[in-house]
Amino acid sequence: MSSAQTDPDAAPPLLVFRDVVKEYRNEGERVRALDGVSLDVPAGRFLAVVGRSGCGKSTLLHLAGALDFPSSGAVLLENESTHKLSETGLTKLRREKVGFVFQSFQLLHTLTVVENVEVPLLLAGEINARPRAMERLTLVGLADLAQRRPHQLSGGQMQRVAIARALVHGPRLLLADEPTGNLDTATGNSILALLRAICSERGVTILMATHSAEAAAIADAIVRMRDGRILEGTQ
Amino acid sequence: MSGLVLFYRLILRPLFRQPGRALLILFAIALGDAAVVAIALAGNAAAGSFHSSIETLAGKNDFEVTAAGGVPQDLVARLSKLPYPLQVSPRIEDRAMVADTRQSVPLIGIDMIGAANTANLPVLGASEVSDAIRHINDPDAIWVTRGLAQAIGDRLPLLIEDHTRTYTVRGILPDSTQVSGDAVVMDIGAAQIATGKQGRVDRILIRTPAEGGFAAWESRLREVLPAGVMLNAQGAETAANRRMLAAFRWNLRILSYIALIVGAFLIYSALSVSVVRRRPEIGTIRALGTSRNAVLLAFLAEAAAFGMLGSLLALPLGRALATGAVRMLSTTVNALYVSSRPGPLSLTAGSVVLALVVGVAVSCLSALAPAREASLVPPTEAMARGRRDYEVRVERKRDALAALGLALCGAVAAQAPEIGGKPILGYLSALLFVASAALLTPLVVHFAMEAGSGSLRRLAGMEGLLASRSLGGSLRRTSVLVAALATAVAMMTSVGIMVGSFRETVLTWMQTELPADLYLRPASWAGGDQHPTISPQIADRIARVPGVAAVRRMRAYDIQYQGLPATLAAVQANPPTVPENLRFLSTAQDADPMRQLPSGNFAVVSEPFANKHHVKTGMSLALPLGVQKVTFRVLGVFYDYGDEAGLILVDWNILQRYLPNPAPSNLAVYLAPGANLAETRVAIQKAIGNNNVLAFSNREIRRQGMRVFDQTFAITWALEAISILVAVGGIAGSLVSIIIDRRREFGVLRFLGATGAQIRRLILFEAGLIGLLASAVGLGLGVVLSLVLVFVINKQSFGWTIQFHWPVAVLAWSMGIVYVATILAGLYPARLAVRMNPIEVIHEE
Repeated sequence: MSSAQTDPDAAPPLLVFRDVVKEYRNEGERVRALDGVSLDVPAGRFLAVVGRSGCGKSTLLHLAGALDFPSSGAVLLENESTHKLSETGLTKLRREKVGFVFQSFQLLHTLTVVENVEVPLLLAGEINARPRAMERLTLVGLADLAQRRPHQLSGGQMQRVAIARALVHGPRLLLADEPTGNLDTATGNSILALLRAICSERGVTILMATHSAEAAAIADAIVRMRDGRILEGTQ
Repeated sequence: MSGLVLFYRLILRPLFRQPGRALLILFAIALGDAAVVAIALAGNAAAGSFHSSIETLAGKNDFEVTAAGGVPQDLVARLSKLPYPLQVSPRIEDRAMVADTRQSVPLIGIDMIGAANTANLPVLGASEVSDAIRHINDPDAIWVTRGLAQAIGDRLPLLIEDHTRTYTVRGILPDSTQVSGDAVVMDIGAAQIATGKQGRVDRILIRTPAEGGFAAWESRLREVLPAGVMLNAQGAETAANRRMLAAFRWNLRILSYIALIVGAFLIYSALSVSVVRRRPEIGTIRALGTSRNAVLLAFLAEAAAFGMLGSLLALPLGRALATGAVRMLSTTVNALYVSSRPGPLSLTAGSVVLALVVGVAVSCLSALAPAREASLVPPTEAMARGRRDYEVRVERKRDALAALGLALCGAVAAQAPEIGGKPILGYLSALLFVASAALLTPLVVHFAMEAGSGSLRRLAGMEGLLASRSLGGSLRRTSVLVAALATAVAMMTSVGIMVGSFRETVLTWMQTELPADLYLRPASWAGGDQHPTISPQIADRIARVPGVAAVRRMRAYDIQYQGLPATLAAVQANPPTVPENLRFLSTAQDADPMRQLPSGNFAVVSEPFANKHHVKTGMSLALPLGVQKVTFRVLGVFYDYGDEAGLILVDWNILQRYLPNPAPSNLAVYLAPGANLAETRVAIQKAIGNNNVLAFSNREIRRQGMRVFDQTFAITWALEAISILVAVGGIAGSLVSIIIDRRREFGVLRFLGATGAQIRRLILFEAGLIGLLASAVGLGLGVVLSLVLVFVINKQSFGWTIQFHWPVAVLAWSMGIVYVATILAGLYPARLAVRMNPIEVIHEE
């Protein structure tokens, strides 16, 4: 078993991994992506998960976002075990509590910037989504570009839109998978600064997967992983 | 060798990775091509078979002598006595109906003694001929094919004209290539008695010696023949019938290509998507030194391979479809043209070549634009994703202008006259309008989606917004899908409007054309070219039945006018109490043609006859009647929808002067005011006695007419259904390909909180929008095409004036069915999208 207590004095954990094992079948072979991971992520903290490609970082994020379930062990988000939730419960959880930021932005190219930001609200059935979407765009400094299409933006601007979209429904947990992986250093740093500010000023818990030690340095705590196991947790 | 490597890497390998795309293209080619093969096979079998009826036991000759109302028998003797070594074979050519089974078969009367003395009739073996001679004086002796009797001595009741008589089978005809299907043979004398053609024969076949040349023999023979008698090369009647059927078959053949046109859109769509997907690979290969031509050829080779494979699949499929088609076609050919029996359906070398040529050509033509595009894209641009759709948007204006130009050309082509009796420019006009609509589609989709996305968002939330944006965003792909389905919808709409208008016109026409209370005809009637007669005394007996006010006789003859078949009919004047029933489209000023008809050699002609032979009111017609040529002046042209060959109407008494024969083909019976229809009908049946004459009430005959009409167009609807099937199947296939292409988008949506049901709704919404856009474009195009069909193609092909009519219910139903079918086509792709693992698809990126 591998575990990390990132900050024993911090607030009660928002997200808990308890003895989590995740196995996949790949061309008939069983692959263990996570191997007995235990981890507490306190509310309002910025946690970076670092490690090489294939070490299990992304799998950890998918389990945290209830997009996948552990083969054994449990993942608890606000004390609620994700694998006990129904399909409806899981969708509700994703809609209300979790936001995602991806390495390749994953914006919908047919929608404008503001429409991209509105998507989570509209999927949740909210009719009056525009004001909140604009508010989030203002937060990331892109209100002026609201009517543009993604292909008219730079990489950094696209990632800011993605962050605005991830925050639009007011999630308590933001999952960022290599958010600076497709950006140059300066742009990457500005994105990291934005994430830092979101965590500090809005109290959003951030779990960021990265293979860059430089990026991880901005976090409150760093969890190092190798071959599906947590090697250590540091502050 | 390097070409093969390129073909494998660029074409075959991606194909194996995307079998769905390959199946979609094969489906489009195979089904479209199958429709073409089916119609070609069925057309040959149904329309070609009448040849066998007329030519049964005809043998090989050089000339044929015919005359309206029959060739006088003394001409046989006159020809035989000519000082040349001619073989002269007189024939009776009629039809008989087997009383028990109601099977209509050719009845051929031949000169048995002559046949015994000639080697030109290989139909009867030596023993059969000598046996025939023993029974030559027996009017009940018949020789039949194996399908009609088991053994010599069998008794076979036959219905000929309006009487039934039991004949004795004196011989079974050997299986022969000259007898296709069943037939009854009699000695010519017995046949003349049975058909009431004493003193006349239907045709005299003449075989001339090999030396001398055709023209010389023609002039020698012409010298001894009277003016009204026609001398032609053998098979002229068959050729004339073939010419008459040509328009019918030509239109049907064109119709069968609709599914292929729809298929072409889908092939284009599938290949365009495939080119867009393979741009990085093309770019890499181009960067490594492959020439543009090599890329172009690789994609064209792919299309040719698809065409070849699709065509091979189309052959058995077309053969299977032809089985159903031939049944429908032969009903039409029988009812409207000539009595015939479907011939055997067989895949010939010709049909294989047709399928291959059509399949490969359509596939390659559809692939030309995507292949060219693949070859033109520079390697660096090919690496960039998502730019092509943007460029297509930029070209919308250019496409719209081109669309306008094509539409104008279409309008001009619609004004042009027919070429060689075929509405070639009419079809070109239709094709130009289809191309115009296809070019206009991106603009329509763009504006509809731009204008509608706000409303769709309010109406259907996120699914509405995403569906509209996604369709508008991938304009090229969406437009091709919409254009393909719109073409199918337009064809269906236009044919629906044309058939609906035609049906309404015929219904109205029948209401005025059929004023009598009862119509009578012999039970042995078997086809449009058959005019069996009713014994003359029956008309007199019916006229004396209480409750009958008047009996109007009509006699029809099949004649040839300017090398084409036509019907010459003689009618008695209407009773004075009955208003004139014919509606004229042109008459001499202030003239009453029907009242003037009995006063001399006057005629009125039907619209199809006038159009086919460019006849106008006031012109003169020289009609071959018996042995003389008689001139009639045309008093008017009337609307007629019962006889495509064309109808010439003269007065009964006038025609009796030239063709004295009191036996009518039909009787129209008018009841006295207050007479009870049912009771009078029973009394009339009694008056008819043992003769096989059928009586139909006015309502029955109209219903029968509409049944024939509906049967005629059943094949049209079947072809439309195939087009719709190709289009909807193509939509399903294309949606699958879209789902695969957009899997990242669906993955992201799942990450952002979309439920499976929302993804399903999104796909179905997109399918529905495609259906809606296609219906709108298709309806607009369909209305334009229906105008071309009604006022240009139909008019030039058949010569009928059709009153325009909106078959609203039929159109609403058809649109509804297409719309529902499109949504259903989205079900499987939607299922695929829902089952995608969002983590996997996001990770692929």
